[in-house]
Amino acid sequence: MFLAIKEMKHEKLRYGLIVALILLVSYLLIILTGLSTGLANLNKAAINEWGAKTIILDKDSQGRLAQSYLSAQTLQTTKGSKISQYNSLVTSTGDLKENAQIIALSKQSFIYRNLKATTGKKFTSKNTALVADKFKKDGFKIGSKIKIANSNVELRIVGFTPRATLSVAPVIYTSFETIKPLNNGVVNAVVTSEKHQFQDAPSNGLVLSINQFINKLPGYSAQKLTFNFMIGFLYIIIFIVISIFLYILTTQKLPNFGVLKAQGVPTTYLVMNTLAQSFIMSVIGVFLAIVFGLLTSWFLPSEVPIVISTMNIVLTSVGIIIMSLLGSLIPIRQIAQVDPYKIIGG
Amino acid sequence: MSNLRFSSVTKIFGHDTSKYVALDQVNFEAENGQLVVVIGPSGSGKTTFLTIAGGLQSPTSGNVTISGNNMTSLAKKEQTKLRLNKIGFVLQSYNLVPFLTVKEQFELVTKVKKNNLSDQSLYQLLDDLDIRSLVNKYPNELSGGQKQRVAIARALFTDPEYILADEPTAALDTERSMAVMSLLKDLAHKHDKMIIVVTHDMRLKELADKVYQIIDGKMSVYEG
Ligand SMILES: Nc1ncnc2c1ncn2[C@@H]1O[C@H](COP(=O)(O)OP(=O)(O)O)[C@@H](O)[C@H]1O
Ligand SMILES: [Mg+2]
Repeated sequence: MFLAIKEMKHEKLRYGLIVALILLVSYLLIILTGLSTGLANLNKAAINEWGAKTIILDKDSQGRLAQSYLSAQTLQTTKGSKISQYNSLVTSTGDLKENAQIIALSKQSFIYRNLKATTGKKFTSKNTALVADKFKKDGFKIGSKIKIANSNVELRIVGFTPRATLSVAPVIYTSFETIKPLNNGVVNAVVTSEKHQFQDAPSNGLVLSINQFINKLPGYSAQKLTFNFMIGFLYIIIFIVISIFLYILTTQKLPNFGVLKAQGVPTTYLVMNTLAQSFIMSVIGVFLAIVFGLLTSWFLPSEVPIVISTMNIVLTSVGIIIMSLLGSLIPIRQIAQVDPYKIIGG
Repeated sequence: MSNLRFSSVTKIFGHDTSKYVALDQVNFEAENGQLVVVIGPSGSGKTTFLTIAGGLQSPTSGNVTISGNNMTSLAKKEQTKLRLNKIGFVLQSYNLVPFLTVKEQFELVTKVKKNNLSDQSLYQLLDDLDIRSLVNKYPNELSGGQKQRVAIARALFTDPEYILADEPTAALDTERSMAVMSLLKDLAHKHDKMIIVVTHDMRLKELADKVYQIIDGKMSVYEG
């Protein structure tokens, strides 16, 4: 550590530049991971609130809720909570407008039980609705009437519920009778709170675990893949940046390392030193990146779906630190292989 | 009484057509309490001799023993230990770490080796070498001669039993060269160290207890 710290203090510019590079890439990583999580949440957060394990859809639905129409026969042979889904523009007095996912449930279902109302209460009678927090942010109030576009259906908001977004739209929870005029009473899926046993899968049903179902949400997997690709690439960039810089810096110091070896300084001491440098630099870089990342998410308008969770921070930090330690492997090899005699004899 | 002994040591670089005999059947002996100077022109094999003496490379044939122990049979780790604990190297270049001040060069040694000179003896040494005022300077702020004297102090700081010095006075004027040599001679005589200096500088033989001469890899006792 002694050599590591003394050198970094003496060569502030060089090491400062490496830290700056780590900082920039880490910052990008944190923002991208945050966006990835945020966008994923917009797609699926509502489903997580249900507390469901399995979903049964129609065989021909390809896992898409909107394309699944369960037949009466299938319904008869399936146990669980039925749900109906209807996607529509909704409006209210003034200019209030929102594209929403309407989900109908029975008040007896476990989903209904699992939903929380942060303000107001859950829907009770016909034409009342428990709606996503997002509506409140956008100016809707308890008691506000919302009109479903191209229909005569009008709902009254009785409560707001958190984290209720599905396929990037806020969710309106209401009863089956409320949306009967909209979807003719079609049931799109049955959801269970227990793991569904495959042997009692209905003949025309497609049984998916909730995770499988989420992965089949429109655009979800493609988006996740794109982000993961970029994130993976940034980790590789960190690795290469550290490798190259430490390689160059180590090459310059090799004669000195050779002489230190001649003087009896153990190779492990020199190796630990290089590891310490990459560790220190990545910790500083990551720390600053986290600070900047949090500041950014703080200042970004709330429309930007960025979620910098503790989990993300921990995983990203560990990832970057591991990458930079791996990045010092090549320099370590250089140090281990330098022959003191080659330097002295030259 | 420990000693360093070369018996018929040959060092050949390259092979076949580009063979080069750097040391040719070298016999050499030095003991504690002696300042031994090896004199030879450039390219005669001095550095090769010194690095083999310090275990940095092994001979092609022949034996090097330190107090009767065969040097080449030591494991790499033990050679490193030997160099750290018993040998002080003063090399021709790169002796000092560029990003450490003079004081920190000594501090670095204390990080890897416990029993070094006391502060008091170190300051005495720095005074003897006239470099005490330089402790807070970086190597690039020192003249060649100052660097060389710091390198000597650095080597002596570990209180080694053997000191191997490669042209330690190359950057020094006559007066300073003689001062350094008498310091080394004092160490040999008063502290029972074995000191081997290789050089092309004929003047250094004046203070030596024993002088060897090396020409084209052939070593012989110098008879002036
Ligand atoms: N690693 C090596 N490979 C090939 N030849 C070498 C090597 N090291 C030294 N030599 C040769 O051995 C001879 C002696 O070198 P050296 O011991 O450095 O001489 P000196 O220190 O007396 O100037 C020189 O001719 C040099 O070119
Ligand atoms: Mg030489």
